[in-house]
Amino acid sequence: MKITKKIISKIEGEATLKLHKKDKIIEFAEIEFWQYRGMEEFLKNRHYLDACVINPRVCGICGHSHLIATAKAIENALDVKITKKAEILREITLGLEIIQNHIKWFYLTLYPSVKQKDFFKALEFAKDIAKIIALIAGQFPHNSYAIPGGVTCDLTNLEIIKIKNFLYEMFERYQKIMSVDGKSEDLEELFEDIPKDIGRGLNRFLVLGDNLYFSSNGDFKFIREEKSTSLNKNVLYKDKFYEVGPLARNLNNPLVSSIYKKHKDSVYTRIFARLYEVNLIFEYLLKRIDEIEINEKNYIKPTQKNAKGYGVIEAPRGSLIHEIEIEDEKIKRYNIIVPTQFNLSNGNKLNPSPAQAALMNEDEKYADFIFKCFDICAICVSH
Amino acid sequence: MHSKPKVLWIDAVSCYGCSHSFYNYPQIKEILNKIDLIYHPLLPTKEFEIKSSDILIIEGAIKSNFLRLGFDLIDLIAKLIKLSRKVILIGTCSVYGGMFGEGILFNKEDKGKFYKCKDKIISIPGCPPHPEWIAYAIEMVLNDKKILLDSENRPKEIYSYTSHMGCVRNEYFEWKVDAKNFGEKEGCLFYEQGCQGPYTHSSCNKILWNEVNSKPRAGTPCFGCTEKTFPRKDLFKTETFMGIPANIPLGVSKRAYLTLAGVAKSLTNERLNKRLIDEDN
Repeated sequence: MKITKKIISKIEGEATLKLHKKDKIIEFAEIEFWQYRGMEEFLKNRHYLDACVINPRVCGICGHSHLIATAKAIENALDVKITKKAEILREITLGLEIIQNHIKWFYLTLYPSVKQKDFFKALEFAKDIAKIIALIAGQFPHNSYAIPGGVTCDLTNLEIIKIKNFLYEMFERYQKIMSVDGKSEDLEELFEDIPKDIGRGLNRFLVLGDNLYFSSNGDFKFIREEKSTSLNKNVLYKDKFYEVGPLARNLNNPLVSSIYKKHKDSVYTRIFARLYEVNLIFEYLLKRIDEIEINEKNYIKPTQKNAKGYGVIEAPRGSLIHEIEIEDEKIKRYNIIVPTQFNLSNGNKLNPSPAQAALMNEDEKYADFIFKCFDICAICVSH
Repeated sequence: MHSKPKVLWIDAVSCYGCSHSFYNYPQIKEILNKIDLIYHPLLPTKEFEIKSSDILIIEGAIKSNFLRLGFDLIDLIAKLIKLSRKVILIGTCSVYGGMFGEGILFNKEDKGKFYKCKDKIISIPGCPPHPEWIAYAIEMVLNDKKILLDSENRPKEIYSYTSHMGCVRNEYFEWKVDAKNFGEKEGCLFYEQGCQGPYTHSSCNKILWNEVNSKPRAGTPCFGCTEKTFPRKDLFKTETFMGIPANIPLGVSKRAYLTLAGVAKSLTNERLNKRLIDEDN
């Protein structure tokens, strides 16, 4: 048996992949993250509102999800209800963050691990998606417009009209990347020289958030974090590893389900679900935007000062959990569990995480691709 | 054929927000086509090697015992700076330390580990910096143009402005009408919500974010993210002293500010004291 160690970069940070191989076949893979930024410590003793500025900085590509999870955790702690209008606006900006994430991941992270491909169209698309977020939230990346009690903005119908037309335009443009009936030339081109059925995971799926059109199939109270050999913590649900993310949360869609029946939980199904999800998010947002009542309040001021709470959402890469303990308006404890921790836990040979299972028994030449198809966010792990 | 200038973009302790901000620059393709991008932490490039560069771009703060690409981060940065002709520090982390550690040029208020390299450094702070600022710095260096820098090596063409300039809530500031709440069009965020606009060096409200908006325009206070003090504590609160803001807008004496504020408050602007869009008449 031979063990090779490789630093995988360009995954919003870096990770170490140790492959145990026999004749080029991966028998086992160890996944390690070695960076730590201490964000939870940084939050301690600060006013809880500061978390709405600090937490988006967990990540440059999915920081908005951290903002929404923060606001939800504080609202849960302080027993605050937000208006339907504020809820819809958050759905729009979070949904759009997922979309810009997927398109950047597909063309900037995944494609280059296989072949060269023009990535400027992805940047162009993501830039325009970011512009719609900015119309509501002020800017992208790193806004703080979602605060406990609602949102800071006070839109007029001029912005609503602009946002809606922009959503239609972007939905239309997305059809060239993947159509509503699941056709994608770029996806098929990616798989010209790669088998579609490799990289099967654990075939166990978890959805904890119920934002957008997703419905959860579990309760975050069964989540347990455990020490791993590297700096990240493993995450288990009822003592087992589960796959989170677009495949997990779209299995009830007929088209995704038909691909799943054919290719199981392979790289192809995982990537298909991620690209197809964009269409479903566009459809959902276009439906929700019409429900906005412009005269409804944007913000209701919280009154409580002490409590514990949690916020769970479906972020670009899967279920994201924020837990907070507030005492006299100050943060006493903060804990963040990110989707990459679920998918890339570092288990053992008998009890591997989804990504480890996907790498096992595959040819080493596909390791980078299989690894990246989970859309890893190393920087989120090293919060 | 003339070879393209070599640009090496390295990530220190960061969140990659600076890179993702730069991705929003509408003509990013034109810039990338002019350069030979020998390494970037996210964009497709060749494998990383310690190499000389015409422009070194550093994103993120420095911290001891932190590994980057298998190297000790601070050693790696020292080598790369030495091998570069010009250095552009992008982001508040990289200039001052920001959220994640020490800056390259400064450590918050103090001189930083690489202060001695000041002559070849350009500071582009911001959390994140505006994509146009990053593009500006790259273009100016590529074209060998002289950049007027202030004492912290920030280009004056960007950082002579305050983020207050161009804010749509300016009239409320003039007449001292404070925002009663979040989520409302009316009122200035300087008095209650912690807005740092009048003393934050940045052109956010002049050139706008994503070409359409800014935080104060979306009802969020400016957090002073381009400054060495970012992120200060109590980001959504205005520090006051005897009921008046403890920090006075840049360039004004406390006495002058109080006189002007007193006069403005005594003369009510009725239009600004009611809802901007009145449903009744």
